Amino acid sequence: MSAITTGATSARTLRWRTPWLFLLPFLVLFVAIYVAPILFAFTQSLFTLQRDGLGLTAPTLAFDPFANYARVFGDAEFQASLGRVLLFGIVQVPIMLGLALLIALLIDSKSARGRGFFRMASFLPFAIPGVVAAVMWSFLYSPVTSPINGFLESAFGFSIPFFSDGLALWSVANVVTWVWTGYNMLIIYSALQTIPAETLEAAKIDGASATRIAWSIKIPMVRPALILTTVFSIIGSAQLFNEPTVLKSISGGAITSTYTPLMAAQSSVAAQNYPYAAAQSVVLAVLVGVASFVFFKLTSRGEQ
Amino acid sequence: MKKTALRSATLAGAVAVGLALTACSGGADTTSAASGPAEIDFWGWAPGYAEAVDAYNASQDAVVVNYEEISPGAKGGYEKMLNAVTAGNAPCLGQVGYETLTSFAAQGALEDVSDIADANKDEFSAATWAAMSVGDAVYGAPVDQGPMALFYNTEVFDSLGIAVPTTWDEYQAAAQKIHAADPSKYISATYLNYDYAGFDWQAQAPWFGVEGESWKVSIDSAAGKKVADYWQGLVDEGLMSPAPMWDQSWYTGLGDGSIATHVGAVWIAGILKGSAPDGAGKWAVAPMPQWTAGDDVTGNVGGSGTAVLEGCDNPEAAWDFAHFMSTDADTFSALVETAGLYPAANDLLTLPVLSEGDDYFGGQNIYEVFAESSAQVAEGWVWGPNMPETVGFLDDSLSGAWAGTGTIADALATTQKKTVVGLEAQGLSVTE
Repeated sequence: MSAITTGATSARTLRWRTPWLFLLPFLVLFVAIYVAPILFAFTQSLFTLQRDGLGLTAPTLAFDPFANYARVFGDAEFQASLGRVLLFGIVQVPIMLGLALLIALLIDSKSARGRGFFRMASFLPFAIPGVVAAVMWSFLYSPVTSPINGFLESAFGFSIPFFSDGLALWSVANVVTWVWTGYNMLIIYSALQTIPAETLEAAKIDGASATRIAWSIKIPMVRPALILTTVFSIIGSAQLFNEPTVLKSISGGAITSTYTPLMAAQSSVAAQNYPYAAAQSVVLAVLVGVASFVFFKLTSRGEQ
Repeated sequence: MKKTALRSATLAGAVAVGLALTACSGGADTTSAASGPAEIDFWGWAPGYAEAVDAYNASQDAVVVNYEEISPGAKGGYEKMLNAVTAGNAPCLGQVGYETLTSFAAQGALEDVSDIADANKDEFSAATWAAMSVGDAVYGAPVDQGPMALFYNTEVFDSLGIAVPTTWDEYQAAAQKIHAADPSKYISATYLNYDYAGFDWQAQAPWFGVEGESWKVSIDSAAGKKVADYWQGLVDEGLMSPAPMWDQSWYTGLGDGSIATHVGAVWIAGILKGSAPDGAGKWAVAPMPQWTAGDDVTGNVGGSGTAVLEGCDNPEAAWDFAHFMSTDADTFSALVETAGLYPAANDLLTLPVLSEGDDYFGGQNIYEVFAESSAQVAEGWVWGPNMPETVGFLDDSLSGAWAGTGTIADALATTQKKTVVGLEAQGLSVTE
């Protein structure tokens, strides 16, 4: 009796243990690198720095769960930065993905020549590290020595104020588009390769033109790839940091230290206010999560 | 299973802590000959520090200094140090700029070494010693200082027959002549954060002060507004180059004569030589222009010291090295040559390397000008308790003002307002 019970228990334990044992390497890394920092940031955001008088000793942390969040929602600069990346996303993401889709379709089309070259050429900007690309563009945009403006001025007598109030955001968008279009193109292009040849052939036999095939067959069939790249791009827009940070020093004040939400959080870190930086990050993460979720919901509703 | 994992993690942690403790006690014990030399870690970024550390290690057997080069303070180095202090694994010594020292003290990141250091107080200039102290606490050894002067392009000035300006009025007149003669040439370019602060320092318009137990914030003082309005006038007349300081276009302008002057600290000499080689033989140095003819008041930009960081278990050994690097004649001569540092220690002002002509400056011995300037730096300048935050606010609006959006005076007023709000939000006592 007792022997049977023990046997059953150990079998059950084993059944219960084995999957966890296999999951362990992943779980340990996931918890250590992903869950723990998020929990830590969230916990940090519930405290505020406290000092008194001249404050010439280390500040203490006081538990005040709403103070940082109240400040985030009253912080006009942080809200402006959120509005800025929202506008950026609404305009830049469709342009970039439209371009990526167009290039992918062109390279994929039957009559395309030099396919390998064009695929490589449009992907190349992505191979350049983001910061290096931004530094390169900062030379092109420089208020004093911009070769673009140098050419425009000598040829047509005008120059582009890259960092005027109205243009600064789009100068940044241009750099981001330049870097990321090829990457998104490649994802869409791979999806195009999975469309069965019979489907395309059937359409052709039915007399569909190349444009018609692209519009009615290819684009609907790469829809999952388009949704994926859109979600990546939404997240990328919200986390805009490298390009504006590099361009900041030559922007004549158009790009401030709180230009994007991540730059604002970074400024809080530089000012040694980690709890406030944590609160800003948590708010941004929640908003991005909501935006991605809503986008998924909207697109899956369209499917039904 | 979970428990086992937890237990082994705890064990690993305990072992690590144990090792760390052993390492620490190994370091602390070292004054006794038996346990070998004391080990001191030192983080900095100035060129030449690695060689200074080698020279110290070769000069004696009691202490071994391990130098690690980190990013310059404002480019992440300070964050790295403060994070290390929070994590409890900071080095004993770190390079800290004078403008940031008070901010470090306000994070509780520094160790008061006045017991050990006060004996050497008289070896350093009063201003730099004060820059490494807050009240009676002394946090490290001053290394260099940044007395200001006027760097000017002799080719531009001579070709137009303009005399070297001695007052700010003459400087403005020179700016008008230079730009009128050649619209692609400007008197100077943009000045941000601490480089701008040098002007307010000269004008005796300190940004901060201490009144009893409160911080006095006076960034938009009347004296400061006078300085702001002066530069605003030059911007409005279109006499200032839009080249952002430290940008490639700035270096190019300094090299090709389109930026005719720079009013800055002694270490600008090193920047010119290193990054504007085309300007060789054309540049010269003259005393800083004055607000009132006949005055001799200057400001200071930059300069840093070797600070003892919180948690250092062997401040005696740390101080021994810091003092050596700041006062050893051979070591500092090398620092003058590689990093263009101008010594904070009084005895070093007569170093042979500081009395030689320099070909880049047409054979002029520029240090004569800076020796004078060093003695004339205005007193009463105080740095605030969170300078990274304050200059962040300032640069956001000041860079706009140089480019023509907003004014410099407004930038100072905005910075004042935001700084007060920022300090009060953390419970500091502030008066305006």
